[in-house]
Amino acid sequence: MLRKTRFSPRKTMRLIFSYGILILVTLIICVPAIWLVITSLKTDAEYNDWPIRFLPAVAQWSNYVEVFAPRHHILKYARNTLFLALVNPILTIITSSMGGFAFSRFTDVPGRNKLFSIVIALLILPGMVTIIPQFIVFSRLHLTNTYWPWVLWGLAGSAYYIFMFRQFFLSFPKELEDAAEVDGCNPLRIYWQIFLPNAKPVLATAFIFGFNGVWGDWFTPVIYLSSKNTTLAVKIASAYVNPQGHTLVTVTLAASVCYALPLIIMFFIGQKYILKAVVTSGLKG
Amino acid sequence: MDAEQAAGVQKSSRRRGISRKFRRTAWFYFFISPWLLGFVFLWIFPLVVGFLTSLTDYDGLNLANLNFVGLRNYARVFTGEDRDALFAFGQTLKWMALNLPAWMILSFILALILNQDVRGRGFFRTAYYIPSVIPIVALIWVWRIILDRNVGLLNALLNVFRPGTAINWLTTYALPGLTIIAIWTGLGWGMVVFLAGLQGIPDELIEAARIDGASSLQIFRHITIPLMTPVIFFVLVNGLVSGFQQYVIPQLLNAGGNIAAAPPRQVYLILSHVNRQVFAFQRFGYGTALLWLLFFVIVAITFVLFRSSNYWVYSEAEAG
Repeated sequence: MLRKTRFSPRKTMRLIFSYGILILVTLIICVPAIWLVITSLKTDAEYNDWPIRFLPAVAQWSNYVEVFAPRHHILKYARNTLFLALVNPILTIITSSMGGFAFSRFTDVPGRNKLFSIVIALLILPGMVTIIPQFIVFSRLHLTNTYWPWVLWGLAGSAYYIFMFRQFFLSFPKELEDAAEVDGCNPLRIYWQIFLPNAKPVLATAFIFGFNGVWGDWFTPVIYLSSKNTTLAVKIASAYVNPQGHTLVTVTLAASVCYALPLIIMFFIGQKYILKAVVTSGLKG
Repeated sequence: MDAEQAAGVQKSSRRRGISRKFRRTAWFYFFISPWLLGFVFLWIFPLVVGFLTSLTDYDGLNLANLNFVGLRNYARVFTGEDRDALFAFGQTLKWMALNLPAWMILSFILALILNQDVRGRGFFRTAYYIPSVIPIVALIWVWRIILDRNVGLLNALLNVFRPGTAINWLTTYALPGLTIIAIWTGLGWGMVVFLAGLQGIPDELIEAARIDGASSLQIFRHITIPLMTPVIFFVLVNGLVSGFQQYVIPQLLNAGGNIAAAPPRQVYLILSHVNRQVFAFQRFGYGTALLWLLFFVIVAITFVLFRSSNYWVYSEAEAG
């Protein structure tokens, strides 16, 4: 094997250059997020100052108290959001893992290949085009202003997760299910008692993706729900106001921090699996 | 399986009257039934309804005296009656021409850097991915206070170099502003995917080329790039499809989160135009016609890309 000298000047230069870029990009990525947190601790007057002040004179932790003040009803919106962000992904995971199980284990069944190419097509087809037609249908069925659309979307599963579960289940040895079948297990039990309990990484990833999707979604609640039953995204997008109707910028920023925090924490907990899933669903197609 | 056993299996299945194959088929359809029903009722059915709507003057209420207008909604686009539709489509192309190459090249360079022997690869990879998990509404607030004309951080920093800078990133320079946000947000995803691709290139191949005296540039040009074409293709298709669907950022950042309002002309993208037809003017028929046209444009571009992939995307089956 060819070994290069350890301290060639060219290699050292390249490493310095590489670290320089990496640290620069890290700063560009981090500064906006840090700036959000810093600004959320200012008063509105400080925020509107020019030339800008980089730090608040006194950190306004009261902004964070104001976020949860009863007159803003933030907890009500948080409850709505949490409900949708739990129900929809849980249903999606159940139905999608069933689909993934079917596509990975029943490869010899008539119609299977055609249906699987539909799944693949749905991965690429633009989802935005169905939103308005779906909205027309749901509003004719009087399901707007209810949470039913989220339940139905969940029950329908998603091509993306079906594909993810299929990829994962493909790695399960065939003997596993043959042995279970000889023991008289029907496929439902094989799915429920062998495949699902062994798919924890994918289950966790799919849940985090689904939770993030609903938690962060702004457009769907805007068109489907009203101010009574809408979600945090809509509430925070429209800014906090004081009783006189003036926008409270820095309080809204504090609310944004609280709103983003759960997702960032979840990402840190599940990052290993999440980054892996981003890759597998992307590359092994 | 010996003959006796085989005969036994055959007999038992004949007794039950259904073959193993039939049972397997039934189970398969049982397992995919939720998705299949969803596909029919939440994709196919709405798309058909959407198509039928596009042939009418439906305004959300006039179901009783609906008028069939044939292809008039579609004709409106092609006769140039609705100049804004073509304008918005043009802006969408401009936005992608600005965003896609910059985003892909930057993510690729980052992935190349991280693919070397650098310490803390995991740290950087995680750090770069964080913007992708911040919910869009929080992201908008982040950028609202940075891009603000009067008290924004970006103009404040630019003032250090050129005092008196007051660039209006949200209106006059909305398109560069949108591109900055999109690249900042999407960098992590692109980098993670490219990096995984780079790590899939066998080391032996590069070692062998080096022994043969190939320079780093030659290795990059003749090994890295060709072997990365499938990943580049994947990222390109994804970027194109999602680029056409850019809507939420301009609507929130530049139009104040009002779905009936129009963002500034620079970022008046095609979906803003479509959604305004529906939510500002109740032109459901015309809106769905535009959606169908957009759908066909996206599908056609994807199709052409897939066709072209035969010429430039490396495939193992061919090489092996």
